[in-house]
Amino acid sequence: MTAVLEASIVEQLVAAIAPVLGEANVLTSKTARYSRARVPAPFPVHRWAERVPDLVVLPGSTEEVAHVVRVANEFGVPIVPRDGGTGLTDGAVPERRGIVVDVKRMNLIHEIDLENRTATVGVGISMLKLNEVLAQHGLIYPDNPASYPCSLLGGRIGTSGWSLIGSRYGHSRDLVLSFDMVTPTGDIIFVGDGGGRKISKSSSGYQLKHLFMGHQGTLGIATTATLKLYPKAEAEFSAFWAFDDYDVAYKAVGALARAGIATFAGAVLFDEKKVEYLRRDDEAYIPQPESVKALVCSVGYGNSDEVAAGGRRMMRIARDLGARYMGDEISQGDWASRHDRYATPVHGRTLSGQVALMSWHCEDAAINYTDLPAVTREWHAIVEKLRRKHDVFDDWGMFAYTSSDTGVDYLTEIDIGIWEEKLDDTTWAAFVDAKREIAAVSLKYGGSISACHGSCREGEVDLVPQELGGGYDVMLAVKRALDPNNIMNPGKYGLDRAYDNEGDRR
Amino acid sequence: MSEHHAHGTEPSSIELLPIELLPIDTAQASLDFVDEWRNAAYNCYSSGHKFCREVCPVMQVTRNETWTPTAFHANVVAMDKGELDIADIAEDYVNCTQCGACELRCPNTLMLGDFYRFRTRTVDLVKAVRTLAVDTGIHQPQWKTWNELTDARSHEPVLGEQPVGQDSVREWADGLDIPIGGDDILFVDCEAAFYRTSVPRAVAQILQMAGHEFGLMQEQWCCGGPAAEMGYRDQAMRFARHNLDNWKASGAKRILVLDPHDYISFTEDYPKYFGAEFDLEIVLVLEVVAEYIRSGALTPRVAIEKTITYHDPCRLNKRKGVWKEPREILRSIPGLTFNDVDHVTQWSYCSGGGGGLAIEKPELTALISGARIKKASELSVDTLVSACPWSERPLSAAGEPENIDVVDIHEMLAESLGITVGGSRGAR
Repeated sequence: MTAVLEASIVEQLVAAIAPVLGEANVLTSKTARYSRARVPAPFPVHRWAERVPDLVVLPGSTEEVAHVVRVANEFGVPIVPRDGGTGLTDGAVPERRGIVVDVKRMNLIHEIDLENRTATVGVGISMLKLNEVLAQHGLIYPDNPASYPCSLLGGRIGTSGWSLIGSRYGHSRDLVLSFDMVTPTGDIIFVGDGGGRKISKSSSGYQLKHLFMGHQGTLGIATTATLKLYPKAEAEFSAFWAFDDYDVAYKAVGALARAGIATFAGAVLFDEKKVEYLRRDDEAYIPQPESVKALVCSVGYGNSDEVAAGGRRMMRIARDLGARYMGDEISQGDWASRHDRYATPVHGRTLSGQVALMSWHCEDAAINYTDLPAVTREWHAIVEKLRRKHDVFDDWGMFAYTSSDTGVDYLTEIDIGIWEEKLDDTTWAAFVDAKREIAAVSLKYGGSISACHGSCREGEVDLVPQELGGGYDVMLAVKRALDPNNIMNPGKYGLDRAYDNEGDRR
Repeated sequence: MSEHHAHGTEPSSIELLPIELLPIDTAQASLDFVDEWRNAAYNCYSSGHKFCREVCPVMQVTRNETWTPTAFHANVVAMDKGELDIADIAEDYVNCTQCGACELRCPNTLMLGDFYRFRTRTVDLVKAVRTLAVDTGIHQPQWKTWNELTDARSHEPVLGEQPVGQDSVREWADGLDIPIGGDDILFVDCEAAFYRTSVPRAVAQILQMAGHEFGLMQEQWCCGGPAAEMGYRDQAMRFARHNLDNWKASGAKRILVLDPHDYISFTEDYPKYFGAEFDLEIVLVLEVVAEYIRSGALTPRVAIEKTITYHDPCRLNKRKGVWKEPREILRSIPGLTFNDVDHVTQWSYCSGGGGGLAIEKPELTALISGARIKKASELSVDTLVSACPWSERPLSAAGEPENIDVVDIHEMLAESLGITVGGSRGAR
């Protein structure tokens, strides 16, 4: 556990930062610091104090961020970027305390370019709020994570986020064209495809955009980004189908994803455990016949005529495989509430069936279509073993979502209910072991540890060097080159290994 | 630092004492508070969705995560674990207008109501923290002064230095020939009675035109709601007691309410204070008037050639689900071009005038009302119509530089009914 900074050093940091950011934007109160120690990913409550930062700053510009980073280098104090703080792999958690750079104030829309279809915005903006403005121009920025109502653009860049409708519009990496960022030494650089701010494809120089997306705040802080915009869809098609067994549902989701329908925006497979979980309390599923064991949802977006045609084809594909359409009310309602409904604390159950307020945790991976059934079986077995041993965990079932328009791979997630209030050191250690086992299964089947969240939490992070092989050594070299003082979000991804005195740093 | 410690509290550098070592009354009050709120706090903490954040009016203008419904709940968990105490958290809870948007946008409210009869109650939590603070001697300076003056004058000091009191509480009604007492009593909140007197004058004359008999209280005091919102619960209950006794003494059966804040006090706070003893019917004037228009008892005929939008007052729309009737009334007025914004979209709108924010942090209220006026401005309207006197002062101030006039719905309806309203729309 990292010690709290001495009060005199905090005072010096404040004195160095406040004249540039303004006193109101340098926070030292306990509540300001405690509220920025957390993300939604469960963590033992009794260890909350271990990760409380020494200082919180709220910069308003790229230059102010750069100033804070330079001060942090001067003092040798860790710095942790935080935007929405909605991530599930602890990217925004100040594991070594230090300065949290909360960029939510940087939420201005600087430009909407109607001709080139781009928006240039501060990274503190929410996609939902941006889309409220874009809707006036008939446009949309279609990055749509489960956290759509609360996640912010900076976090989407820092985690290289995944979108529910990414099979149609691409994911954050495709939708963010370029951005300004502050490097770990406080330099301001521009990152994009080549040098142009609004270029979607360049072959000039190294392709740095991918490197500076998804680094979980270890390589710098993005500040202003230019985004690719689409026409706001005229029509939405969403259909939910019920199946009597998982295998047929699995076939159906594959057939839908491989059908090459231009308006296809994504398909989701709900497994048997997920249906069982939904039956606990969900009014849409309780009345469904017991024979319903799996669900598939498929959606399309675009121009009305194209969506109608694509929708008809999807309906035919599902029907031919024996699917039962669940009706417009469930289909439209469930899709409309897709961000809200699948993870509520009171759905938690102990082994004896008692309701317990459980936190939702989602372990994700990128898995090829052909390996979904095997991974599903093995993951459930891991969680079942965990909950049999410790009655503070619950299996909330699995989803598999298409990541692309060809159906090659799926964001595969197992949702685990965790009675966070009861999480002690023993059960936490057991959970970390389970996470590691889950990640190992993903690698065994040739997948990737994460399609969506990142893989720098305890447990799975141990397997990242194995997953990336020689690529991990390149990660270490890049980290060392860009962050010579190991200032930027230290402790993540095992990157301390990049430095000579591992363990002594920060 | 922006987050100074509350007036009269220990600085944050003092080492935190475990709850059981705090002075007994503070310790016991804190334990009771945590006991009451533990489950609700964990329900938010465990959910971690934070969907409340972008609809919160304070968050929208400050972008400060310390002042979010999520943090407000998490702080209770931290108290439960001995990490924080009331002195650490009290001042943060100033930053809430008690608009209720976060409660509506919470997945726990949206998805759990049917099965568990559960809903997130951030407004009540904020009130509870403020009450705990006051009960344990932690005061916010402006709120303390405000409530002391209210206590001394029996009305809120809405005119600043200029006194308000019992001798002038009915001045707004000069010349309207309204009796004292009767079955139906019109209750007029402090802001309307002393500052925006055109609102109660409009209401009274509309009711008179419809033939609705009503009277005024013999001795009306402030409803006590603002005191309750700021944590001065004992004072709020004393005021409520006075008003209830006064109504009972005059044989009142129904209380007609024109102000959404009073509507909350009388339908939520008073029943909690008095239980079955509180057997009066509380009637929102807007709903009565809408019914008179429906039945033909009132027909607006004077055309008003204005381009308007309607501001859904938080306490009507978000907290009471009243949004149809105001639109019905506005659509009955000839001449208006009504650029309406859906009431759900307006969950994220607020004037910033509620929950005592305007008293302790007027600069935040100004930012929030400025943001609200900007939304109206994007609709190219010349007038923003509200139905809440407490919203109209900050919105008017924000509207002036944008050339957007802020009019109360009752004022506008009265004009269309051919009534010469009179009174003042406040200092302009």
